Amino acid sequence: MTSLPLDGIRVLDSTYVFALPYTGGQLADLGADVIKIEGPGRPDITRGGGLYGTFPDNDPGEDWWNRPSTYQLLNRGKRSLALDMSQEDGREIFRELVKVSDVVMENFTPRVMRRWGLDYPNLRRLRPDIIMVSNTGYGHGDGPYSGYPAQATTQEGTHGHCWVTGYPNDEPSKAGRSFVDFLSTWSAMLAIGAALRYRNRTGKGQWVDIGMYQAGVMFLSEYLMDAIANGRAGERIGNRHPHRAPQGAYPAAGDDQWITLSVGDNDEWQELCRLMARPDLASDTQLSTLAGRQTHHDAIDDAIAQWTRQTDKYELMHLLQAHGIAAGPVLSGREVHFDPHYRSRNFLERVEYPEERGIGPRFLMGRPYSLSKTPLQIRGPAPTFGQDNIHLLEALLGQPPARVAAWAEQSIISSIPTTGEPSPTLDPQELVQRGQLAEWDPDYKARLGI
Amino acid sequence: MAAGVFDGLKVLDLSEDVAGSFCARLLADYGADVLKVEPPAGSAMRRVGPFYHDDPHPEKSLFFLILNLNKKGITLNLHTAAGQNILHRLAAHVDLVIESYRPGHLDNLGIGYAALSARNPRLVMTSITPFGQSGPYRDYAGAEIVSYAMGMVMGISGVQGRPPLKHGGFQAQYQGGLFAAGATAMALFAQDRQGVGQHVDVSITECVASTMMATQTIYPFLGGSQIRRPDGTMWENPMPCKDGWIIVQAGGGASWEDIADFFQAPELLEPRFADRAQRVRNGPAMDAVVLDAIKDREKWELFPKAAEKRMLFGLVQTPLELAECPQLQSRDFYKDAEHPVIGRIKVPAELFKMSASPYQLRMAAPTLGQHNAEIYVDGLGYDPATWAVMRQLDVV
Repeated sequence: MTSLPLDGIRVLDSTYVFALPYTGGQLADLGADVIKIEGPGRPDITRGGGLYGTFPDNDPGEDWWNRPSTYQLLNRGKRSLALDMSQEDGREIFRELVKVSDVVMENFTPRVMRRWGLDYPNLRRLRPDIIMVSNTGYGHGDGPYSGYPAQATTQEGTHGHCWVTGYPNDEPSKAGRSFVDFLSTWSAMLAIGAALRYRNRTGKGQWVDIGMYQAGVMFLSEYLMDAIANGRAGERIGNRHPHRAPQGAYPAAGDDQWITLSVGDNDEWQELCRLMARPDLASDTQLSTLAGRQTHHDAIDDAIAQWTRQTDKYELMHLLQAHGIAAGPVLSGREVHFDPHYRSRNFLERVEYPEERGIGPRFLMGRPYSLSKTPLQIRGPAPTFGQDNIHLLEALLGQPPARVAAWAEQSIISSIPTTGEPSPTLDPQELVQRGQLAEWDPDYKARLGI
Repeated sequence: MAAGVFDGLKVLDLSEDVAGSFCARLLADYGADVLKVEPPAGSAMRRVGPFYHDDPHPEKSLFFLILNLNKKGITLNLHTAAGQNILHRLAAHVDLVIESYRPGHLDNLGIGYAALSARNPRLVMTSITPFGQSGPYRDYAGAEIVSYAMGMVMGISGVQGRPPLKHGGFQAQYQGGLFAAGATAMALFAQDRQGVGQHVDVSITECVASTMMATQTIYPFLGGSQIRRPDGTMWENPMPCKDGWIIVQAGGGASWEDIADFFQAPELLEPRFADRAQRVRNGPAMDAVVLDAIKDREKWELFPKAAEKRMLFGLVQTPLELAECPQLQSRDFYKDAEHPVIGRIKVPAELFKMSASPYQLRMAAPTLGQHNAEIYVDGLGYDPATWAVMRQLDVV
């Protein structure tokens, strides 16, 4: 049995919200010892529930901060240290941890780590080969926005994605959720893997400075080139494609059910016409070219919708795919749990929780890749707040129990957050009525077998 | 200049799509020696726009250009026995092969992971496909919109009463490329440290799905599924101001009083907007107040003022604005590439900064077969006569 890629690698994860916490969870899957560090008075915002994830069955319980769903996903397999780095003793503990760690991740605004004396030049003095990863909204440096506060939701406009996303001839729009966060999640994966390999070869560590803004902009590279070379601003074309037609999301049988399809060339178009029993469209020579199908896209869309409307979306996918046409249903959060393909690839993993936490078992997304020699899995549930305080300080750092007890007394470490409150919960039936949930299965546990 | 972090890493890039090409480019950006292997007629991406000055010339595809910066390029016909032999010779001496053919296609040609790793056990091979190498849909045709649909994003994007909406551009493809680069970097670390070679299987649809961390978890924790938002302009979404759109979110370092003050809208301090629950309940009324407050204000006036208040605030920028952005300039995001046909052109270059092993733009994308002589004659030692025959036989 080959050991996991990151066996023996220790990561201090002093990051909050979505982006790098998700990196930390992925690193834990790979075998790293990931220590999530939060301030007693600054618990991760994902612990509050609400927009940041739901409580199990809407029940915040006694320890609400340990229970929200998204927190579980992002922080699986980590250990937890609740450490007050705004106090000098807290920073001293952090420094001791740096000496026995390989990677430090943080997402404070650029001035905070400097003010605390924990920026890269200082960390490097503690451990010369340390790899430090900083994630900020606009990146470090002296740029005009480097000091601006930022979060993915509002940055989606600033980094340009809203401009190119939206229904044709309509307002700019967002898509997905906190999109650019995940570009940082995986930029950090790339940087950390690369930096560990480099350190293995050269003995040198380094500092990685990720700015979410430029990651978002990078993903519009072809639009940027069209702007730079041809002066074009880019436009919103909704679900259509610049080089394929027809393409779109079309209604399928049922309420708010959709099938997407994309036709790449005239052969596929002819096949689609045959499936739709529309010889008139097949023989229309105007539609045999991409340009022709783009010109008449609206009329084609009507014809496709007429055909798809009566049929189940999965049935449509299998039929279209059997004839070589790229197609797939719009899947909800519920449906991915029952889709045979996701299931066969074990994309959703069953995670067990200790009885006393009153949470599990639950299903969480694993990762979008697999390694043939080292099968990966979620290695454990997300930790409770500060659950490893004592063990880390006594066993890892060798501090005497009396000193550790004194730190607890002074709230340098803590096992409960001193601030925050659970977001209010709304009854799922009310959420369905208000149009905030598409559907609700009261028997979802039986359906999932949990 | 310090060497790149992947300095000395040898990579073959067999990919024909955006995702695989982008993955290989990211490694090339940070120092890897990446060899792009194109069919003799050229990569399909050479026929995809935008084109420089709208001229659909195979050396002027700007999409091909930005996906293949920092790579060398050869032509090789993988559908001939001679071409397959050459690929075996090349793959025997590389650390990594990146490919995006349909699952099983390279195996059928005798140049899949099993065959290549038999000669080179340390080899890492990364395959990036719409649905991955296993499972009932593995042979299905993929498309950007299909990955978006099946990856849950479309189900919550757009508005109720209208079709689900995908992101603009090729976000699934770029995600596939970046996420694959991350997974590959981990496999390369294992290769370097443990001597392990292996096959990395990346599903683009799963890359898209993996970004839906809130949406996915609602079902196994509550039994519900998220839906698209109601129609209408809303808080936390683009809202029109005088000359464009802005996006605002509560939180960050700004109090609700700061936000009301920023908008010069004292109505926001009324009890009906006092807390988050109230603001959700009275959302349409609050949206109306904000829209009225910004209708005569300009986005570039509002942006720095919002930052002074420590607000979470964005404005909708166009690609033209992004091409001139001073923040991106300060971050060295753009570099000038020297392209043999296009000439000097500004390109989006640096994804993030690495202090010990910085990004370098070493070359633009290769012209078709630009490095054939260097690789075949100097590298593999074919004499010019043999090489001429290979060209006649359409091997290269």
